[in-house]
Amino acid sequence: MSELSITELSKDLRKAIESLESDKSLDEVGVIVRVGDGVVWVHGLRNAGYSEVLQIETTDGIVEAFALNLLEDEIGAVLLGSDAKVKAGQTVRLKGTVLEVPVGPELLGRVVNPLGVAIDGGPAIKTKQRGLVEREAIGVMGRKSVHEPLMTGIVAIDAMFPIGRGQRELIIGDRQTGKTALAIDTMINQAKQNTGVVNVYVAIGQKSSKVARLVERLKQEGVMDQTIVVATSPSDPASLLYLAPYAGTAMGEYFRDNSQHALMIYDDLTKHAVAYRQMSLLLRRPPGREAYPGDVFYLHSRLLERSAKLSDELGNGSLTALPIIETQAGDISAYIPTNVISITDGQIFLETDLFYQGIRPAISAGLSVSRVGGAAQTSAVKSVSGNLKLGLSQFRELASFAQFGSDLDASTKQQIDRGQRLTELLKQPQYQPMSVWEQVVSISAVTNGYFDGVPAAHVKDAQAALLSKISKDHKKDMVELDKGGKPTEEITKAIEKTAKAAAKGFEEK
Amino acid sequence: MAKKLSRRTLATYVADRLIAGDAPAGVVMQLAAYLVESRRTKELGLIVRDVAYFLAEKGTVHATITSAFDLSAETQKAIEAFIKEETGGTTVSFDTLIDPTVLGGVKISLPGRELDQTVAHQLTVLKTRFKKA
Repeated sequence: MSELSITELSKDLRKAIESLESDKSLDEVGVIVRVGDGVVWVHGLRNAGYSEVLQIETTDGIVEAFALNLLEDEIGAVLLGSDAKVKAGQTVRLKGTVLEVPVGPELLGRVVNPLGVAIDGGPAIKTKQRGLVEREAIGVMGRKSVHEPLMTGIVAIDAMFPIGRGQRELIIGDRQTGKTALAIDTMINQAKQNTGVVNVYVAIGQKSSKVARLVERLKQEGVMDQTIVVATSPSDPASLLYLAPYAGTAMGEYFRDNSQHALMIYDDLTKHAVAYRQMSLLLRRPPGREAYPGDVFYLHSRLLERSAKLSDELGNGSLTALPIIETQAGDISAYIPTNVISITDGQIFLETDLFYQGIRPAISAGLSVSRVGGAAQTSAVKSVSGNLKLGLSQFRELASFAQFGSDLDASTKQQIDRGQRLTELLKQPQYQPMSVWEQVVSISAVTNGYFDGVPAAHVKDAQAALLSKISKDHKKDMVELDKGGKPTEEITKAIEKTAKAAAKGFEEK
Repeated sequence: MAKKLSRRTLATYVADRLIAGDAPAGVVMQLAAYLVESRRTKELGLIVRDVAYFLAEKGTVHATITSAFDLSAETQKAIEAFIKEETGGTTVSFDTLIDPTVLGGVKISLPGRELDQTVAHQLTVLKTRFKKA
């Protein structure tokens, strides 16, 4: 070891010891009565408040816990670390604070645990500010209605179920239907389109390998610099899984409160509810439906209510939430899915059948909805996607009806043909979000019938040809269109001309 | 079968009786009989802690002072004054405990409160802090 580092270490130690000098005031203490399964029961600490942090002195250092059950004779607290060294009879101190995490731009590009400790092998995170993990949501007067778009880059969503900044849009579906993929694409789009939106991805009980792959992909796509990942794995204590979304939200709120925009992704709230159920049952709270405790609705409503579009007085920032829920066999009427559906401002439902038919993203046009995003949709996309959702829903119904007979009138046949082309158009590979002009040009080519002569199988090729040609020939117009304004007559004519020309190369002879 | 009373209720009762001047032996017998009848003898330790807590609230404080070495009479006097000042207690008594594992400094344990100025405690805090970083 060099002399310099010894000097530094000595300085650090001195500083640490100085900071330990107590003000010689008495700490409130209690004693552990029982411990097990990550839960401790403490005697004493009569002044402890709900969610207040407790410190347990073990032989291996101090282990923290937070009080959740305040009873007449004892306190039930959930440990934030391993219970291996925690024993009955040990002293418990009241820390005098509720849970806080570091917040600020220093966290960008980092992977942290729900306590804000770096778990990416990088240096310790030092922030200027700390944020409360549990915080009351902004009141009515501090809010503004959702009016700015949050472009996901996914045509099907931006055209049919637009999401606004400050909205809560649920992504729901069975396992392996592309829920996380939608969220990742949305994060990538924020970087590609330079929207300035900060991403906070909260992995709740996700496999560490999956999180590692995700971080690697985000780095490849150049998104990690504006992203914070709050990760918990299935081997973490239930308390950390429970805290993860609240801690992530505290980190996102920093940007919201500083006139910036942040996007929260909670992957997923089903595992969050399960972790809370485990904690509640161990704390001996009475179980209700599906063994969840009575306040499981409040668990998610108080979390999602923190996502908001702030008023001009509060700086105009926003916090958008994309919670994810995993269903079993497409059952959206189960307890947790119905709860979260009723809390959010809409949902994007992913269907297993569509996924295996190769329609990806497998978005169900009939069951998905965006309740407030319409007001936030860009004029450009709005002008071309008017009856897209209706057309697609009608097509899916007609298509299933048409299977029973071959005698179809011309208009029905045309509707089915166009629906097939539309379905092809809305297919989109992963990690390839589209910009506004690409979406507008593609949608108008199909809905206006410019691609009517192109067989469904070649729609994607025709679309690629159209986009490549129009970006070359009308670059200036496309830059203008990308700003989101309604397409001018000149641009509309340019799209028509180029689309018809592109379609010619793929028409059936 | 006796009605189940909370530990807090039992402790408040015992503390009130003792402060009222009842003979400790009588109160102890009464409590022991209740605990045996209601099969709650295991809770004795916690009830005693609660009684000490309620007595302290009413001005009768009993402390335990732990140190690595014998404390001088002067230090003990200073500690007594400190306890009186901090708790507002009128009657202060304490036991002293020599525990070499605390390494140095002093730990004052009061009912429900504690001042740990031992070297062992400070090292534990330091250890935790460096572990986190």
